[in-house]
Amino acid sequence: MKDIVISRLNELVNELAKEEEKKKAWEDFLVDFAEVCEKADFKEKLKTSIINLLNHVNEKELSDGIGLLHEKIDNFPAVDVYKALIEVLGEKNKENLAKIAELHDVLAELSTPIIQLWEDVLLVPIIGTLDSQRAQNMVEKLLESIADTRAKVVIIDVTGVPMIDTIVGEFLIEMFSAVKLLGSDVILTGIKPEIAHTLVKLGIDFKMVIIKRDLESALKYTIKQFEEGKEIKLDKNRGKNRGDAGEN
Amino acid sequence: MKTKVVPTIKLYDYLIVPIQIELDDATVERLQMQLLNEISEKKIRGIIIDVSMVDIIDSYISFVLSETAAMAKAMGCYTVICKIQPQVALTLAQMGIKLKDAFTANSLERAIEILNQLD
Amino acid sequence: MMNYQNFKDIDINVHDYDIVLKIKDENDISVARQMAKSFAQKHNFSLADVTKIATAVSELSRNIYRYAKEGYIYIKKKETEPDKDISIEIIAYDRGPGIENVERAVAGGYTTSERSLGLGLAGVRRLMDSFYIMSEVGKGTIVVAEKRRRKF
Repeated sequence: MKDIVISRLNELVNELAKEEEKKKAWEDFLVDFAEVCEKADFKEKLKTSIINLLNHVNEKELSDGIGLLHEKIDNFPAVDVYKALIEVLGEKNKENLAKIAELHDVLAELSTPIIQLWEDVLLVPIIGTLDSQRAQNMVEKLLESIADTRAKVVIIDVTGVPMIDTIVGEFLIEMFSAVKLLGSDVILTGIKPEIAHTLVKLGIDFKMVIIKRDLESALKYTIKQFEEGKEIKLDKNRGKNRGDAGEN
Repeated sequence: MKTKVVPTIKLYDYLIVPIQIELDDATVERLQMQLLNEISEKKIRGIIIDVSMVDIIDSYISFVLSETAAMAKAMGCYTVICKIQPQVALTLAQMGIKLKDAFTANSLERAIEILNQLD
Repeated sequence: MMNYQNFKDIDINVHDYDIVLKIKDENDISVARQMAKSFAQKHNFSLADVTKIATAVSELSRNIYRYAKEGYIYIKKKETEPDKDISIEIIAYDRGPGIENVERAVAGGYTTSERSLGLGLAGVRRLMDSFYIMSEVGKGTIVVAEKRRRKF
């Protein structure tokens, strides 16, 4: 087999491809093939050569090429070569999926940064459409940052969010009460009519959040509170109504 | 007094309660009695319950904690629940539980600040 | 997800479940939630979802203990296809007195027991991705709830 391939190398390469670059790639492949074809674990060894070849020819060309070699060379182990090819493509596919998942994470990270403005203040600008998956991941990340940084104030800016559905609206409302449970204050800014509509329909509790019309007034408010040293207005009546716990 | 469920630390007239055990129903009920007794015996004006080691707070545990805060309030004592784990806060929020009768803080220092401001 | 039309159709095969736990005293509530917690952790649920699952199991076992005196918690991992969606299914089943007004119980703020919030069942429904309840007075109650593992 080895000798046949080597002796007919030029003829085969010319049939397999037209362009010089592709011819060269096929030639390398056939030389590799000749080298390993009589060895025991030849399928495994051939994988590297297939990966190299795939850098120059596409899957269709490769598959046609194997078909051609099968016709031209007696006893060409087409089945094994195809098997190796399928395995290579499978591995490539897995890699691609992993890369896509990674990019998805990166995208989610990029679209919901949590910025520590100064010691006790976190800023969370939310940009783009929120789906429930992204909203949940964001909520979890934000709560952890609050616990880590012990921020006193969290400014959530939704200027960049065109609209939200009721599920995401519920997540946001839950997020506000979770932030409160951690002991921090929430300032919400940049609410568009559509979001206001959804949040009110869902029964947002305005005792949970401080609303400011834009980021500028939110920042002014925060700075003023800190200057006056009363960043949190304490409600001394808290705990007055026994049995209120857990009220929705 | 009977054995304490949770060892507590008295600091000025505040009582720090670091919960470092699993809170089952019976334990949390005994804790309530213990705290109310300590408030009255030691003339406590503020309790700080540190729950940073508590992995699961369900509706009943939070109810008893909240109820304790209300009872303490009736005795002239404020309650701060401090360092709730983020995932616990999320779970409580999702269930619609708000711990209305207690203050919350994310650090011991902040809890003391809150109590100081209340005087 | 299971859907029972009638109480006599309930047929739970214990061999299908990773955890089967009898709830008959107060202590079993914390045992159940600890087991649920480590089970969800083992299957790589996010810390927040681990806590939600454990809390849901805590609520369900308390309901069993409070209202039915005894019953069972069943927990299993479900996998739709290899490498695909993984979820945890929880069943709480008892042959207790049953709930008269199921809708009201699930809506929250309702309780027949004094020292409770009445948020138990409503809470479970909000914590889980899917929730099904069937209850018949004098026969018992079954709750089937499921939480999917989120992709990160």
